[in-house]
Amino acid sequence: MTALSSGAAVPLARALTLRRARDIALQWAAAVLLLAAWEGASRAHLVHPFLLPPLDEVVARLVEEVTSGLFFVNAGLTLYRAVTGFAIAALIGVPVGIFIARGGIAKWFFDPLVSIGLPMPKISFLPVFMLWFGLFDLSKIVMVAFASIFTIVAAAEAGTAGVDKFLAWSARSLGARPAEIFFQIMLPAALPHILTGLQVALPIALITAVASEILMGGTGLGGAMLQSGRYADSVGVFAGIIETAAVGMLAVTAMTRARRRLLAWHAESDRA
Amino acid sequence: MSSGAEIVIERVRHLYKPPRGAPVLALDDVSIEVGKREFLALLGPSGCGKSTLLYLVGGFLPIEGGAIRVDGRPVTEPGPDRGIVFQNFSLFPWKSVKGNILYGLERIGLARAERESRAQALIDVVGLSGFENSYPSQLSGGMKQRAAIARTLAVDPEILLMDEPFGALDAQTRIIMQTELLDLWRRSPKTVIFVTHDVQEAVLLAERVAVMSARPGRIKALIDTKFDKNDEHLVKAKHDEIWTLVRDEAIAAQRGR
Repeated sequence: MTALSSGAAVPLARALTLRRARDIALQWAAAVLLLAAWEGASRAHLVHPFLLPPLDEVVARLVEEVTSGLFFVNAGLTLYRAVTGFAIAALIGVPVGIFIARGGIAKWFFDPLVSIGLPMPKISFLPVFMLWFGLFDLSKIVMVAFASIFTIVAAAEAGTAGVDKFLAWSARSLGARPAEIFFQIMLPAALPHILTGLQVALPIALITAVASEILMGGTGLGGAMLQSGRYADSVGVFAGIIETAAVGMLAVTAMTRARRRLLAWHAESDRA
Repeated sequence: MSSGAEIVIERVRHLYKPPRGAPVLALDDVSIEVGKREFLALLGPSGCGKSTLLYLVGGFLPIEGGAIRVDGRPVTEPGPDRGIVFQNFSLFPWKSVKGNILYGLERIGLARAERESRAQALIDVVGLSGFENSYPSQLSGGMKQRAAIARTLAVDPEILLMDEPFGALDAQTRIIMQTELLDLWRRSPKTVIFVTHDVQEAVLLAERVAVMSARPGRIKALIDTKFDKNDEHLVKAKHDEIWTLVRDEAIAAQRGR
């Protein structure tokens, strides 16, 4: 309060920095508390170390996997499957969603498919894709694309259908042709919605990649966890969980950054 | 038809078809002519179809009955000869103020230097110097509407269609914007159709006021308002005259709902 009433910029900036530091400390506190509870529980022998291995053993395994490069091989494989499937879903899903929003035959054809597909447990198609596309990368990538495409289509449709008609009218009266209205007006106007769809779909893609690896094997983060489970190596399983969480967080953060860059014009960007 | 008219609206009928429910007759047998460089206000209660009539002149809606001609040619689609300003600004939010103003100039294929200098000149005219690179979300309502007007003026339309352009602004900003619009119009007169439900605004700005009836919209009266607007008594008298006409329609419109 004193910093504000003094009117000087420096104390105000310092107060803001302090508040920000406090917020970050609180954010970390939750994670640290969870880890402390974990370590405490296993040290006090409250749970059997096989069910919940001590944290320090898991950390040691993480360090080992990172330094040996094994982590990067597995994470790379999982990311390759997740990102390729996600990219295919985005490249097909966004145009299809926009197409549906324009109405006509596309709407009648695709709307029921999306309505059925969106709430369906997509992973149940894994046996089918294994049958069709084999046991290696292709079936996993198809699985990822299939799991994430419905969200992307639905978001692109809602975003395009919700574009203010006066924007298109303004462009038309300024001399824009239909193709220009589509690429220069409709697409950027729907972009916030489309990006939201992609942001929701990316974790789905990662989850699906890891889940198909756990179900089918074939290394990657999920495959490694499947392997550890088979050898009753609970330290390996928990190390895998932490690795998966870390990769997921990285991907989501990258996506948020990309959104902030693409939508610098958007009112939401002002709320830093 | 008289030769001085730039816009001829002849026996226009329009059915409004809501997504659900029965169609409503929005405009019934509307005829009016707007002269070259005339400032006409379309005044009426909300829902009387005055915006619909403006959109028909703009070419945004298909003409179902009757005819609209601009400079002798029937209106079929929107074009840069008829600039439009909407109530909610409708600026492209991903473009800066300058980017918005440049959009129309890019469409008509001007050389880059020419585009830049014209955009900058307009930014100065509407008083947005220093905000060239701001995005619409960073501007106040009045500034947004200035930017929107500049964007429309950039392609130098002969006709300016204004759809309650100051309706979303606060009272003070509205008065300032009205004065500035009049200044702008006096400096480079254009044919203006100005839709409003504000009697005071219509009397202050327009040379002629077309009072529309409640739905279905018809032209109920045409009132000459070309006089010295500094004469408070005359303004008051005209205001009262038009207000009596509008009041009955406003009441009818309220009962109709």
